[in-house]
Amino acid sequence: MLMQKRETMNKTHWLLAFALWLLAMGMQAQPVFDIIKKSPGYASCNYDVYPDDVPNLLTPPPSGKRPFYISHYGRHGSRYINKRSGYEIPYKMMVQANGVRELTSTGKRVFSEMNLILEDSEDRWGDLTALGRTQHRQIARRMFNRFPEVFADSACVSGRSTVVPRCILSMEAALIELAQLNPRLNITIDASKSTQWYMNYQDPILRQSDLRPEAQKAYDAYIASRVGNSRLMELLFKNPDIIKELVDETFFNYYLMKMGLFQLNTHLNKDTYLTDLFTTEDLYRMWQIDNVQWYLQYGFCPLNGGDYPYSQRHLLRQIIADADSCFRLSHPGAQLRFGHETVLLPLVCLLGINGYDLRTSDLDEIEKKGWWCSSVFPMGANVQFIFYRRDKKDKDVLFKVLLNEREAKLPIFTDCAPYYHWRDFRRYCLNKLDRYEKRVKK
Amino acid sequence: MAQTIADELQSDVRRMAGMHYALTLAEQPQNTPPPAGKYPFYVNHYGCPSAYYLERPEYYDAPYNTLIYADSLGKLTPMGRDVLRKVEWLRNDARDKTGELTELGKQQAREQARQMVELLPEIFTDRCFVDGRSIVDNHCLLTLGEVSLEMSRAHHSMRMNADASHRSSMWMNPVDKELEAMRSDSLTMARYADFIGRWAPDDVRLMGILFNDADFANGIDASALSRQLFDLACSTQYVENTGSLSLYDVFTPEELHRHWLRRNAWAYIRYGGCTLNGGYQPYEQRRPLWNLIHMGDSIMTLDYPVVHLRYTQESVVMSLVCLLDLDGYGVQTSNLDSLEALGWADYRIAPLGGSMMMIHYRSGIDDPDPLVRVLLNGHEARMPIESDCEPYYHWQDVKRYYLRKLYAYAKERNDE
Repeated sequence: MLMQKRETMNKTHWLLAFALWLLAMGMQAQPVFDIIKKSPGYASCNYDVYPDDVPNLLTPPPSGKRPFYISHYGRHGSRYINKRSGYEIPYKMMVQANGVRELTSTGKRVFSEMNLILEDSEDRWGDLTALGRTQHRQIARRMFNRFPEVFADSACVSGRSTVVPRCILSMEAALIELAQLNPRLNITIDASKSTQWYMNYQDPILRQSDLRPEAQKAYDAYIASRVGNSRLMELLFKNPDIIKELVDETFFNYYLMKMGLFQLNTHLNKDTYLTDLFTTEDLYRMWQIDNVQWYLQYGFCPLNGGDYPYSQRHLLRQIIADADSCFRLSHPGAQLRFGHETVLLPLVCLLGINGYDLRTSDLDEIEKKGWWCSSVFPMGANVQFIFYRRDKKDKDVLFKVLLNEREAKLPIFTDCAPYYHWRDFRRYCLNKLDRYEKRVKK
Repeated sequence: MAQTIADELQSDVRRMAGMHYALTLAEQPQNTPPPAGKYPFYVNHYGCPSAYYLERPEYYDAPYNTLIYADSLGKLTPMGRDVLRKVEWLRNDARDKTGELTELGKQQAREQARQMVELLPEIFTDRCFVDGRSIVDNHCLLTLGEVSLEMSRAHHSMRMNADASHRSSMWMNPVDKELEAMRSDSLTMARYADFIGRWAPDDVRLMGILFNDADFANGIDASALSRQLFDLACSTQYVENTGSLSLYDVFTPEELHRHWLRRNAWAYIRYGGCTLNGGYQPYEQRRPLWNLIHMGDSIMTLDYPVVHLRYTQESVVMSLVCLLDLDGYGVQTSNLDSLEALGWADYRIAPLGGSMMMIHYRSGIDDPDPLVRVLLNGHEARMPIESDCEPYYHWQDVKRYYLRKLYAYAKERNDE
C-alpha cells in the first residue's frame, strides 16, 4: 500500500515536472512566425527586449533539498546600438535619395524618423537604457523572491562584470535591487581586466571574422530567396527601379528593419513607425537570415569548424571551480556575472541547454529543430544555475538550470528532471572540455 | 590655529600624493546646525573617484625595467634590491588592474556613503530620490556602484538610480579645447621649467643609494627614475597600510617635499587660477557650475528630497572648486613659489575619495529664502560671498554671485 502510494506520488511529481517543462518550453512549441507576429522584436535576435512574461511556476525540488547557492551569467540589459555605423548604412542611402528628391511622402516620414533616432542615439552608443536597468532590477527581484533561502541574512552576493560600462551598470542595477530587498546582504562588486580571460573571452583561433568557404556557400544559398524587399522600395521611393543605383535594396531593407526594431530598447519604444513598415513575413525572413548566421558563427556548425562554443571553456571551468569551492561554505550565497551575448550564446550551446548543442550542416534543419537564437540572448538574457542540498554534509548536490528564468533541459540523464545531479554534470562537462583540449593539442 | 601645509605633509606623508592622496574619512563631516526651521532637501554633489591603481602599466613597468636591468648586471645596492622587490610586488599587484578601483577605494566609497546618510537623515528617507551619474570610466563607475549599494542598504524603499553616458559629458566632464590650448603656452612652460629646476630633488643622492656603480648610474635618467619612484611611493597607500612596502624612505623629507611642490604647481597651472596662462583654466568647468545653479532652482518645486551624485575625474572637481572659489582656492597668482603660503594644496582640494557637496535648506516648499551650505571633503567651506549665517549662505546671493561671474566670463570670451 505504502509502495503504491509512493509510486503514485512519484508519478504525480513526474507529471507535474513534465507539465511545467512543457509550459516553460511553450514558446518553443509555437512556430517562429507566430511568435514574431505577436512580438515583432523577436525578429531582431540579439536586439530583442527581455520577455516580461516570465512564468512564476517552478518544479519543487525533491523532498528535503533546499536551494543554497546560485551561479549566474547574464547579458547586459537593453542598450543603445553600439556604433553609429549600425545606422549609417540605411541613413546615408536615404540622405542621397533625399538629395535627388526621390522620396515619397512615406519616404520623407521615414527619413525624418531616422533623423530623430540618430539624434537620440548620439553620444549614447552602447549605453544601457532605462529599460535595461529595469530589466536587471526585475530579474534580480524575481531571483530573490524565487530563492529567498539563498539571499537570507547576511549571505554573500558577488557581482562581477566585464569592463564594459553597460555591463557594470547592469550589475549595479541588479545589486541595488538586492541590497534594497535585504540590506544585510554582504555584497561585493568588481569589473576588472584581470577577469576578462573568462568573463569575456573571444577565442582568437576559433573566432574567424569570415565564414569558411563551405559555410559561406551554404549561407549564400540559404539567404538567396530571403533578402530584398521590393514592396518597401516602392513604398519609400518614387522611382524604385532607378534608385537602386543609390540604394542597395538588400542592405537597406535589412538595416532599416534593425533600426526600427532597436528602438524597442530605448525610450522611443512607443514610436513603432519604422517597424510598422514591415510585414510579419518580412520580419520572419530577416530572422531566418540572422538565426542562421548566429548558428554558423556561434553554434556547433560543422560547416564553419563546429567548435566555436568551446570558446567559453574558461568560463565553464570557472563556473565549476566556483561551485566546487562554494559547496564548502555553509551559506555561499550567489555569484552573479554580467557580460555579453557573444559569451552567453556559445555557453548555452556548450552546455547543450534545450538542444542548443545541435550539430548540423543542413541550414534548413536549424529552425525546425528549435535552434532559435532569439530565445537565448535577448537583452538581459541569463543562465542561472540553482543548487540544492539537504545540508552542508549532503554529497549529492542537485541543481537545475534556468535559461531566461525558465527551467531548462540538459543533455545528460537524470532521475529527477529538471533537477540534475551536480557530480554527473560536472563529470560530463570536464570530460567534454578535456576531450576538446586534447584534440586541439594534437 | 589651522595647520600649515608643511605640518600637514609632515604629519601624513600620504598627502604628498596630491590629487592621488586617498582621503581619510575617519572623522564625521562638519555639521553646523541650520538656522531654526530650515531643513535640508537637496544635495548637489560632484565627487572624485575613490583610490584607484595608477592609470597605465608604464607607471609600474618603467621603474621595474630600469631596476631589473641593473640587477641583472649586479649594479644594485642592497637598498636598490629592496626597492626592486617592492616595485615588483606593486607591479604584480596592479597587473591587469591599472586604472581600476582598489580595495581601499571601495571601502572609501562605502564609508563616504555611510557618512552622507548619517549626516543628512532628513534627506535620506524612503521618499528620497537618489540619481547617481558617473562619467564613462571604470573607477568612477565602480565608485558610484559602491556608494549606491551602501545607500540602498540604508533605505530599501528609496528610489536609487545609477547611470553613465557620454551624453552627460557636457556637464560631467566638459572639455574646452581653447582653454586647454592656453594651458601650456611658452611663457608658462618657461616659468614652470624655472620653478622645477629650482625645486629639483637631489637625484644624485638617490642614484647613489640605489646603484653601486656611479658610471652605470650616470647612464640612467635619474630625474625620470626619481619621478617614477615617487609615483609608486604615493600609490602604496592604496594597497597596504603596514608600511612594509613603503618607498617613501628612499627619499629624504626634503626631497619628498620638493616632488610635491613641483606636482602642486603643475596642478595649479592646469586647473587653478594661475595667471601665467591667463587665469581662466577653472572656467573649463563652467557648465557644471551652470548645472549647480540650474538644478538648485529647478529642484525647489519638488516636495521630496533629491540627491544628485556625480562621479567624475578629480581634475574636474578641482577646477570646479577653484571656479567656485571655495576656501579661497580660486586665488590667482603668477608666483608659483607663493602657493604653499597661500594655502593652495592639491590634496586639500580634490583628493581621491574627495567631494564637493552643495546642500540646500528650506523651511517649506514655498520658502522664499532657501539656504545652501557647501561641504568640501567633509569640511564646511567658505564661499566668496557675504552671509549673515555662515557656513550657510542665501541661495539667491549665491546664485547671483556665480551668474555674474559666468556672464562676465562669457562677455570676455565673446569680446576676444
